[in-house]
Amino acid sequence: MKLELQINGEAAAVEAGLHDTLLTVLRDQLQLNAAKRGCNQGVCGVCTVNVDGWPARACLSLAHGCEGAQVRTLEGLNDTPRMQALQRAFTEAGAFQCGFCTPGMLVAAEALLAREPAPDAAAVKQALSGNLCRCTGYLKIVEAVLAAAAVLRQEAAA
Amino acid sequence: MALTGYHRPATVDEAVALLAADAEAKPIAGGATLVAMLNARVVEPPALVSLAGIAELQGLSAAADGGVRIGAFTRHRDTAASPLLTGTLAVLRSAAGQIANATVRNMGTIGGSIAFADPGLDYPPALVAASAEVEIAGSDGRRRVPAAEFFIDWYTTALQPGEIVCAVHLPPADAQGAGLYVKHARVAGDYATASVAICRRASGAITVAVGGCGPAPLASAEADALLSAGGSEAIARAGALLQALADPLDDVRGSADYRRALIPRLLQRAVQACAGGGAA
Repeated sequence: MKLELQINGEAAAVEAGLHDTLLTVLRDQLQLNAAKRGCNQGVCGVCTVNVDGWPARACLSLAHGCEGAQVRTLEGLNDTPRMQALQRAFTEAGAFQCGFCTPGMLVAAEALLAREPAPDAAAVKQALSGNLCRCTGYLKIVEAVLAAAAVLRQEAAA
Repeated sequence: MALTGYHRPATVDEAVALLAADAEAKPIAGGATLVAMLNARVVEPPALVSLAGIAELQGLSAAADGGVRIGAFTRHRDTAASPLLTGTLAVLRSAAGQIANATVRNMGTIGGSIAFADPGLDYPPALVAASAEVEIAGSDGRRRVPAAEFFIDWYTTALQPGEIVCAVHLPPADAQGAGLYVKHARVAGDYATASVAICRRASGAITVAVGGCGPAPLASAEADALLSAGGSEAIARAGALLQALADPLDDVRGSADYRRALIPRLLQRAVQACAGGGAA
């Protein structure tokens, strides 16, 4: 079934069955593979994408239900100053080991910093509480988001 | 069965007509639970009726009687942040803000949540404590059911086949009162192992409901009277009454005995926090 979605600011014509999720369409048709398929049950957060400005589970979003929504994946956020600051901070803090959770963490963190430029550690933990990481113990991820927020505030003030 | 229909009605009447025409079709709201079940093939409906395009189901509004109406498609995120839910009605805001995690709160809706009626959900005890009513639509028209009668059994509500939740109606807030939801979960984002929702009016009158300790929220007028009267034994006696009503599961989140033991402890925490005027 033909379907037109708005992905990363552009119209994308795709073929999607009624049961296909946004995640399936992103990965299997559009080759946007930053969002991962982990649990496929909405638990792990590795499929997190931005829908109409808010983080959402691509695995729990039916593709046909996303008609008319503005979807942004990590690929579409990559070139923004916020995402670049986050990616640099993740690298500097060593906020990953295997890296599987990182795209979801970045999308959720970007949405937080878009609304809240100066979050405290508790707010970061809240915003990322739907994203599981089995490697790091989370501390370095929280540190990285706080560091990125500080850098962005400095840049904004300069 | 393959999914062959995806309907987008614009009105409640259209939605219930579609559901009446196809007994196997399922309504879908935020999808946070239903799509997970579709992915796991726990349910395989032939058609879905999306409630996303129905304006009437969206958002919170002040009602003419001074209460608050929460449309069934209102996301948890919006309920958790609503400035309309003050005083005693803050119990709903408190519960909404503790559902799952921030990302799921962007997706899930109050109508979808209560229609699912998992015993570990956060809204059911909050709605019972707040004396809410659930507005239901079916092909025979509309009706309203008190929250205490809406939740009937494990995953079973007053909804009849083909009916949908349209809204939740909350009575006028006591602005000088307080409302709070105290949740005990294994980890952040989990379903409640056990929980207590409390509304305390400025007069001192208290209503409570317990979640996670049976097929439906536990409530007792006698327990409410004891808590409202106060005194050193009130929490222990009210807790014992509620424990006697409990019929908890023994599951991965806790044994039945553990859940029973949580009731007076959570009750104490709720009463103390509310007495401090706290919306925590």
